[in-house]
Amino acid sequence: MGKSVLKYAIAAIVFILVAYKSVYFKKLDEVKAEQSAKTFDAAKYAENFWTKKLTPGLHNAVDIDTLIPMLSSNPRQAFDKYSHALGIGNLRYFLIQGKGNVKAIGEDDITLSITRLPDQKIKIATLFIFGNAVRDASGMVNINDFNNTMDFNNVSAEINKIIRVKVLPVVKQLKVGDDVTFTSAIELNKAHLNLSQIEAIPVAVQTIH
Amino acid sequence: MKHSFAIKPFVACLFVLMLLLCSCGNHAGSGKHKKIAVIVSTLNNPWFVVLAQTAAAQAQALGYETKIFDSQNNTSVEADNFENAISAGYNAILFNPTDADGSVSNVQEAKSAGIPVFCMDREVNSVDAATSQILSDSYSGCVAIGKYFVEKMNKRGKYVEILGLVGDNNTWNRSKGFHSVVDFFPGLTMVAQQSADFDRNKAMEVMESILQAHPDINGVFCGNDAMASGAYQALVAAGKANDVKVFGFDGAQDVIESIQAKKILATGMQFPKVIAKTAAMYADEYFKGKRDFPKKMPVEVELVTQENVNDYTGYGKKE
Repeated sequence: MGKSVLKYAIAAIVFILVAYKSVYFKKLDEVKAEQSAKTFDAAKYAENFWTKKLTPGLHNAVDIDTLIPMLSSNPRQAFDKYSHALGIGNLRYFLIQGKGNVKAIGEDDITLSITRLPDQKIKIATLFIFGNAVRDASGMVNINDFNNTMDFNNVSAEINKIIRVKVLPVVKQLKVGDDVTFTSAIELNKAHLNLSQIEAIPVAVQTIH
Repeated sequence: MKHSFAIKPFVACLFVLMLLLCSCGNHAGSGKHKKIAVIVSTLNNPWFVVLAQTAAAQAQALGYETKIFDSQNNTSVEADNFENAISAGYNAILFNPTDADGSVSNVQEAKSAGIPVFCMDREVNSVDAATSQILSDSYSGCVAIGKYFVEKMNKRGKYVEILGLVGDNNTWNRSKGFHSVVDFFPGLTMVAQQSADFDRNKAMEVMESILQAHPDINGVFCGNDAMASGAYQALVAAGKANDVKVFGFDGAQDVIESIQAKKILATGMQFPKVIAKTAAMYADEYFKGKRDFPKKMPVEVELVTQENVNDYTGYGKKE
């Protein structure tokens, strides 16, 4: 009788010890804080990229007066020298700058004629500010620095948000006839080059008074 | 005499064994007798069949013995495939994962065994497990589809999204790329979002049930072409094929034909043959001593519409 009581007592102690060691409690706030610390902050990354990397280097963007004639005469050299892209494919991105005159204001974009190349028109997007053009045209964001492509793509979405907040209000003030300086990201297909329909994502636009 | 008979076979065996060992060493050095395993998420979808067969064919063309392993969209089958490939002495693995998180341990196991793994199309959520990951740029492709979708829907209407496997990063990269555009247009309302696991038959069933609750939809975006074909089939059966615009993703042969026939509006052309050939070439370069591979190599996706469909064929561009 005494032995079996001892046996049950030991079993109960072992059970309580195992149960105690198997379960632990943590404040939900702490768990959430730990998770958010591990989560990549795309908005913060994009803000840093915009203020510390992209905008200080905008003067390095290729002048459209140089790029367009080179794309016509020697496209391969133009793509090799001035474009960026992440991987395998025909789509390449350029960061361009130049001067132009506002010719038309549409529902989704503003048409500029280039001051020194009056036959050349580009459309500055005012609605379709999407995709990776700015991130990739800069050549300054490396996919291999990111744990997964979702984080990498979220950076683009955040850069596009910054453009909507900081750049579009200026672009939407433009009127037909205004002279402007601009810096923009453009996407061109090296296998099907079409210079008559260049669409540009604005990075900086200023009216010349 | 007895003594001499006992020794001779032993010496002969030793000699043959040494010859075999030398011969193996020489072949390994030349790379001609190395073996490459192709482990693919499923062979129940023509896109992955093209991916696996192209990878195997390219590896064979480079002089390697190959075998294709089907993971049947099941991470535990995939784990068995890895164990089998490792124990069978394969020297490299060209890998299309079933799950971005769930497949990491399999890749790690191969890495621990000294076997390089080259991911194809789908990603694993680890920066150092795979030797290199050659991935479709699904997000950018779906941004392009999203823009085309908005234009074709005239910025308004009700639509449905049919998702792929929820554990696959491509599913969410596609969905996020699409929504990064479409969500900016308040006139476009998503009335249902459901997974059909990248499967044609499941997509047909999902579409049938959605149509019962939402008979007035104007558009469907599907995370791959197999699901787009299934959704279109359900719309035909419901007599709504002319009222609902269907958009896919992949560039599968039957969907390219459907775009030409004006049944499906657009798809994102991935290039499975480019991805597979790049992976096989990377494995070849690895055997020859190269080690500095890009951890991730995106492969661009192109928008195929009724305006440019004649430039394309199934799974690629016309030569």
